[in-house]
Amino acid sequence: MTEHGSYLPPAGESAGDGALLEPFEVFRQEKEGDAMRHGGSVMAPDGELAVHYAREMYGRRQESIRLWVVRRSDIRELDDPDLLQPPLDRSFKKPGGYVMRDKLAAARERSGQEKPSGGRPRSAPPPTRKSHEG
Amino acid sequence: MTTAGADLVPATRNALSLLLLSMADDEFVIGFSDSEWTGIAPLLEEDVAMSSLAQDELGHAQALYRLLADVVADGRDADAIAFDRPPEGYYHARLLDHPRGDWAHTIARRFLYDTADAVRLEALANSSFVPLREVVDKVRREERYHVMHVTTWFERLAGSGGEARGRLLDALEQMGPDAGTVLSPLPTELALEMAAIVAAPLAELEARWRASLAPTFARFDLPPLPPTRDPDRARTNHSDAFRWLHGEFTSVRQLDRGATW
Amino acid sequence: MPDEYRQGVLRFVEMHANSELMGVLPEREWILRAPTLRRKLALTAKVQDEVGHAQLLYRVAEDLGKSRGQMIEDLLAGKTKFHNVFHYPTRSWADVGVIAWLVDAAAIVAQQALRDSSYAPYARTMRKICWEESVHIMHGRDVVVTMVNGTQAQRDMVQEALDRWWGPLMQMHGPRSDRARDRDIYWRIKAKTSEELRQEFLSIYVPRVWELGLTLPDPELRRDREDGVWHYSEPDWQELRTVVTNHGPRSQERLAFRRENWADTAWVRAIVLGARGAAA
Repeated sequence: MTEHGSYLPPAGESAGDGALLEPFEVFRQEKEGDAMRHGGSVMAPDGELAVHYAREMYGRRQESIRLWVVRRSDIRELDDPDLLQPPLDRSFKKPGGYVMRDKLAAARERSGQEKPSGGRPRSAPPPTRKSHEG
Repeated sequence: MTTAGADLVPATRNALSLLLLSMADDEFVIGFSDSEWTGIAPLLEEDVAMSSLAQDELGHAQALYRLLADVVADGRDADAIAFDRPPEGYYHARLLDHPRGDWAHTIARRFLYDTADAVRLEALANSSFVPLREVVDKVRREERYHVMHVTTWFERLAGSGGEARGRLLDALEQMGPDAGTVLSPLPTELALEMAAIVAAPLAELEARWRASLAPTFARFDLPPLPPTRDPDRARTNHSDAFRWLHGEFTSVRQLDRGATW
Repeated sequence: MPDEYRQGVLRFVEMHANSELMGVLPEREWILRAPTLRRKLALTAKVQDEVGHAQLLYRVAEDLGKSRGQMIEDLLAGKTKFHNVFHYPTRSWADVGVIAWLVDAAAIVAQQALRDSSYAPYARTMRKICWEESVHIMHGRDVVVTMVNGTQAQRDMVQEALDRWWGPLMQMHGPRSDRARDRDIYWRIKAKTSEELRQEFLSIYVPRVWELGLTLPDPELRRDREDGVWHYSEPDWQELRTVVTNHGPRSQERLAFRRENWADTAWVRAIVLGARGAAA
């Protein structure tokens, strides 16, 4: 996608010596509700052994409850700044794009109300920690 | 010390002890042999995998020796039973007397053993002896992966042709006559069957196991396994390879058997 | 990334991976001899972890552009190095305890500092490795403490092992180096100098050895009350140079063993790697 080189190292034995072994990326979940996080990679000749080896390398101490094993060459990477960090203004899409302090002060002055104290007027209440995914 | 099986009649308890000893020794010996691959397996990822299998087997051996120690209740603990016997006192199947050999021997032996062990464990899944049933339940959950993993390798070697297949055929030829020894009849097994400790006679389990392997052997055009050679001595008369292994695994402990290590 | 940096990281990680792979061998000799089921399980799992660490580190290095086959080939040909401590023989069960406790402790002091490495994949790998290594130290210390509490013969065995390993342990982090001239520090591949690591190791572990009534074979070894700095007899740097260039007491045997084993298992790799990967 880009010309400046991929963040993903090359798939297949990196020396390109015609080997059948290839890298699979391993994602792991530590407990229900957690995000799947990248753990590392294994080399394997096929998907089945890749799963076995992922279990060995990222699960043999009972440190994972779920693994995702993905052939590196199946990963599509997008890191093109024109697509992900477009140059024109996108502030209307972000909370920080709405600065109302002065307008609110003017509104209060007009209505004769005090600035509310305490509470959390700035945004919605914080999300609860408990997730119900999975 | 608990005395599991205290309510069993002596003949049943003796038969149960022999069954536990045979299973524990099987797991102990294959675990020791396969642990030799740790650090030198053909591929780093596979090295870690094979070591896990060896550790699992040793863990199973430990659970079974502990249960045996409870049943026998003569003051010996699991380690004393596992380590403090002369070589002729071990009661593992002759299949496991074969030396580690090359990777094909290791895979063939594991495949033959794990598939036979799975049939044996299945016949114990509803055992009337509850402590054994509980151990078997846990062991079976771990052995599932063993069968999966070794089967992928067995099929890979059998299906790859050339040197790999040739080595596998050699291994099967050498071990074939001993393959069935894991399920050869035990001298006291009638008592186990009558007490509903085992669901079926071992001969029946052996037939079931042979039938389960037949499709794989046919699919890869492998010669069928021969009948068991000398089944009456399936678990005695151990090989020089085992005597060497015994010398190794007792070498530190025999420096001072009374010491804590 | 700059090519000098990439090569610096690759060289550093490759030697680390080699050391894990060769470090398997001294302890592996005792896997069959462990005296109880629990020790057998712990030692097998420990050696398995070292193999696992070699895998993790070779994966980092492979992604920097050198194949695993090539790295192993260079190691076996004596073109690349591995850590000094893995060139020595093991003589008794006490070695298993001393290696897992003190050799791993000296290693973990260095590895903990690498969790802040500037090369993020290496730093992440070191976090996983350090977590696993901490169990090894417990295993080793437990073996040592159990023997120290045992018979006089067991205690003597530990002392004898400690006397033999102390020299290599003191050499392990390398001679003092000039921070300003160390390229690995310049690139922040590593964060601490040899002497900083050695001082950290001594501060934590010498008191723990002395606490057991064991002695260390260095009459100069003491901690300065004023500045807290450890003083010690100058380690034998000539021995270190000799050993890491594969002229140590077991260098050639261990390399020969690996070569032989690598050749014996080539046919297996041939069916999973293809012919060229297996030849490497």
